[in-house]
Amino acid sequence: MHKTTSLRTFWIVFISLVSLILVSLYLHITSGDFDITVMEILRTLLQIDSKPENELVLFEFRMPRMIVAALVGFGLGIAGAIIQGVSRNGLADPGILGINAGAGFAIVVFMFMFQGELFTDGWLGTMIMPIFGLVGGLLAAVVIFVMAWHRGTLDPQRLLLVGIAISSGFGALTLFISLKMNPNDFEAATVWLTGSIYNSNWLYITAMLPWLIILVPILMMKASVLDLLQMKDESASSLGIAINRERIVLLICSIGIVSACVSVSGSIGFVGLLAPHIARRLVGVTHNRLIPICGLIGMLIVVFSDYVGKTIVAPAELPVGIVISLVGVPYFVYLMIRTKGK
Amino acid sequence: MISGEQMKRQISHRIPILILALSPFVMVALAVCSVFYGSKSISLSTIWDAFVRFDPNHIDHQIVIHSRLPRAIGALLVGAFLAISGALMQGVTRNYLASPSILGVSDGSAFTITLCMIFMPNASSMEMILMSLVGSALGVAFVYGIASVIPGGLSPVKLAIFGTIVGTFLSSVSMALSTYFQISQDISFWYNARLHQVNPEHVKLAIPFAIVGILLAMLVASKISVMALGEEVARGLGQRTKVVRGIATISVIILTGISVALVGKIGFVGLMIPHITRFLVGMDYRWVVPCAGVIGAMFLSFSDIISRFLNMPFETPIGVVTALFGVPFFLYLIRTRGGGKHA
Repeated sequence: MHKTTSLRTFWIVFISLVSLILVSLYLHITSGDFDITVMEILRTLLQIDSKPENELVLFEFRMPRMIVAALVGFGLGIAGAIIQGVSRNGLADPGILGINAGAGFAIVVFMFMFQGELFTDGWLGTMIMPIFGLVGGLLAAVVIFVMAWHRGTLDPQRLLLVGIAISSGFGALTLFISLKMNPNDFEAATVWLTGSIYNSNWLYITAMLPWLIILVPILMMKASVLDLLQMKDESASSLGIAINRERIVLLICSIGIVSACVSVSGSIGFVGLLAPHIARRLVGVTHNRLIPICGLIGMLIVVFSDYVGKTIVAPAELPVGIVISLVGVPYFVYLMIRTKGK
Repeated sequence: MISGEQMKRQISHRIPILILALSPFVMVALAVCSVFYGSKSISLSTIWDAFVRFDPNHIDHQIVIHSRLPRAIGALLVGAFLAISGALMQGVTRNYLASPSILGVSDGSAFTITLCMIFMPNASSMEMILMSLVGSALGVAFVYGIASVIPGGLSPVKLAIFGTIVGTFLSSVSMALSTYFQISQDISFWYNARLHQVNPEHVKLAIPFAIVGILLAMLVASKISVMALGEEVARGLGQRTKVVRGIATISVIILTGISVALVGKIGFVGLMIPHITRFLVGMDYRWVVPCAGVIGAMFLSFSDIISRFLNMPFETPIGVVTALFGVPFFLYLIRTRGGGKHA
């Protein structure tokens, strides 16, 4: 099943995913309390005698949310592929490993330290948030790897367990800090923490885009290294690869992406778990094909889940993180059952 | 209890006896502190008056009897229940990571309470407690059901991962349902431990259940000491392991179920306390069960008092306080005992 597939299969998968994403984006943008037809959307986008209220709804609410969903999914999907590749653990996921929680904690600390100061609401604060997230995410990753390192290898089960412990620890600290905030900031922090993206705006998009633009190409360049890392350590180093240095670079890049996503959308789990598994079935295990497909699948998952989340219990909304974990958990259990068979 | 002539390794009965003898004093002291410290300062003499000559028109008396006292008692009881549940689970499954909050028992309980609040909004306290018991049974069945399908799924680490994942799932479903039925505020109230709002009526209703649960626990305690040596050994010694396991599970379901019904989910007590207790009193569960009970009671009561000081004048959720102690302990357990042959 996990063989390398032909280039043609890759493009077929690629194109079908893109079209599925377009369908989801269409569903996403046309659904909501305020009815807008497709023609109106097109007219508004192309600026042909558009109505001001349509413009407001589209440009201020729906477009940013849709783009954030797409970007977050893209980032988390790729980060999941890298983290699974580096840890050689098919059950790894930034959410389960506690990297989300670490980044979230750092961001809440940031919100708390600078609360009430002017620049937190402005662009500077929004741009700095991912950097704080990165620090927190790295902190969590260091703790996780130090704790899970056992006699020179990463024990897969232990990695998950440490991740669970780290998540609940950072979760408690985050709750503690956020309760010290003033009520307004607390509200903002809790909405953000549950993994919801309905308060997105263009600023968030500009805050996370640079991270993706810089880090994703780096990871793509490293794709072949990632393939070699799947071999035994001795074989990889005999091919002249500085294994540990490459691992660290790859991890830092992926944590950077995760932090950018978390600082915008809060903690959304399971995307980084699901995307690589589905992608491997579709295009095999070669990373230069796997990585872009993971990104697309992640994008599809988040956009579609957000569409489900905002329509299924309308007029109330489910945070997209909850929708994804409803699907993600059974899949995770299924994966655990299957891997035990080997 | 039979004790002296048993074996040489049981020479140090002094420690458990010391613990059991001193604990009432400590518990009373903690309860007094718990009643005394709060957002409204009430003098000791007023508290005394509230007990001796209760005056329904006196606000401070009302606060002491109807708010602070149930809270103090609730903390002690729930701490004891959770610690005993944890001790039984760890003994029976020989799993050093077993505990009600990790293995999805508490989540199952909270899940059925969500259902109960949605579909039976006028449920009485008794019905709530019963639903909570059903839920904890469901949680146990769910986690063990999945785990036993897989070869090796009952190993400590895997079981803990399953438990957490199933817990995440149940709480996501609860969250989705409560958003749909628009009662999410009430539910988040239930999910987060609310020791400050213990309902005195719930406490009264819970006590008969608790007595049954603790009696069952004591009944199988000596058998569990044998089971902790291993399933084969226990069977070889002529023990009916299934019966013992069944009784222990019922006791866990009862004790965890009423804990969640009383105060919501509180993590790490059931994980940590049994380890500390075994470290102090050894492997004889006839001593471990009661000692874990009193140590758990003291720990939770202590955490509850700390939770009022961490962020004065506001209270910190008690889950944060127990996690503060619990997470480093959890990591220490994984570090020292995880992986390798334990995995």
